[in-house]
Amino acid sequence: MIITRAPLRISFVGGGTDIKDFYEKYPGRVISSTIDKHVYTVINYGRLLDTFVIKYLETEQAKHPSEFKHTRFRETMLHLNVVEPGLEIASFADLPGNTGLGSSSSFTVALLKAINAHHKIPVSKEQAAKLACEIEIDILKEPIGKQDQYAAAYGGFNVFQFNPDGTVDVDPIFIDYKVRADLEDHVVLFFTGITRSASAVLGEQKLTMADKFETYKQMSDSVLVFRDKLVAGDMKGMAEMLHEGWERKKSLSGGISTGAIDELYTEARNLGAWGGKVLGAGGGGCLFFIAPPEKHAAIGAGLRERSAKLGLEGFKKIDFDFSQSGADVLFNSLSHHA
Amino acid sequence: MYYLTHFHTMHKFIEDFMEDVCVHLKNAPADEIAKATHILQSVYERDGRIYIFGNGGSLAIATHWVSDFNKTVFSHNLEGHTRRFQAIRLPSTEEEMSAWANDIGFDMVFAGPLQNYLQEADCIIAISSSGKSPNIIKAVELAKSRHVPVIGLSGFDGGKLNELADAKIVIKTEPGNYTVVESVHHAILHLLTKYFQDYFDHLQARNEKRQG
Repeated sequence: MIITRAPLRISFVGGGTDIKDFYEKYPGRVISSTIDKHVYTVINYGRLLDTFVIKYLETEQAKHPSEFKHTRFRETMLHLNVVEPGLEIASFADLPGNTGLGSSSSFTVALLKAINAHHKIPVSKEQAAKLACEIEIDILKEPIGKQDQYAAAYGGFNVFQFNPDGTVDVDPIFIDYKVRADLEDHVVLFFTGITRSASAVLGEQKLTMADKFETYKQMSDSVLVFRDKLVAGDMKGMAEMLHEGWERKKSLSGGISTGAIDELYTEARNLGAWGGKVLGAGGGGCLFFIAPPEKHAAIGAGLRERSAKLGLEGFKKIDFDFSQSGADVLFNSLSHHA
Repeated sequence: MYYLTHFHTMHKFIEDFMEDVCVHLKNAPADEIAKATHILQSVYERDGRIYIFGNGGSLAIATHWVSDFNKTVFSHNLEGHTRRFQAIRLPSTEEEMSAWANDIGFDMVFAGPLQNYLQEADCIIAISSSGKSPNIIKAVELAKSRHVPVIGLSGFDGGKLNELADAKIVIKTEPGNYTVVESVHHAILHLLTKYFQDYFDHLQARNEKRQG
């Protein structure tokens, strides 16, 4: 049996500039950090089975992986040449999908790590990120960027630069535990209860790339400013940048903000949040704020009340810490026979 | 007069040595040390193990570090930390070392035992002033072949160890300046211990504050 996991991430600035339509004209940049919430995959080799089995919210069984409905399971298994029947693969997640925390790509990265471990092929962080991009963007043709695959594979606070030639530079950010803990004390994360697939909205954004080029360029450049504020521990400065970024991004695509999200965001600002953003390209996902620690209780209570009025039943605060480790093989009962 | 000259010479020697250590400590690559803290943090999060090894004085430094890192890091609240670091010096017994050296060859004293233990969630810290010791390089290559992160503490021109390491902590000196390189290595390992001790103290203080 093999158990792997890949972390979810919070993307601070630059999301959207990791899409090919943009970065082939100007380097895209994203600054993000992984968090201590993960997608896990478990592989077991059932020697007497003559089928393939995958388990997620549903269970599928097939004679060949090409018959699976779950696109990422199917294409990852096909791409990595999983041919021997008897393989059972299950996935588990600390948080549900479509929350804006990059879980779809975390799943792909965790899955490909597991399958490669089963095949006794060690995979570097770079290889894992690239493979996930191939599967999701080149094969599945999802209109998404590359930031999530890299965040899940590498882990920690990073600036990713997406170069016009398709290469990606990974620049880890060195902040000490005091800044990290201080940031953890200032941030607050809420799941809005609204889920929407990122692909849908990013598809809309892609169409308007030509019009929005200058805005994206500004976003890409502002990543480096945000990094400097992070390293300096400037919480308010980062929050103000998020707020500007959110305003800017709202102009990019009608789908990014819905009335309910806007209402919650404004409410949080009124209750003392310095700034924040919606995580998730869809008109839902999570709301993330940077706010003075003493305001967190009031913001939480206010948003709970407001979300109930809006009928958002799934609204919930998510407690988390930032994390350093990327995609990992946690357990491999075969590793000593490698 | 003789006394005075002798006095000056003795002090000059002492001051020169101190200066040599200080300058090299100051010039140690901070970004690479920061990378090492990231690697150790990651290993802690995934509950992996840290294997550390070196030859001669470097092995002594490795042993010293293990006792500090496994206990001193948490010593302000040993009871509260049920999950602690799992740093292990290789080989863990002299008997194992002599068995590998005598039966297989001295170049396998680290890679041999490492192969018994190494899992993908682990990391290694390899210490070699020259960066060239064949037994060190063999173990580093084993780790690299499995994409297990390598923290390399080297000196002189860094040698192959510095090329292969993920965190490239090289103390650049003229060849053969073991005393300075080892002194600085020891200080850097203490830095790592101190960093995580402060980190866990900080987390504890914060948790106490949160719980009111």
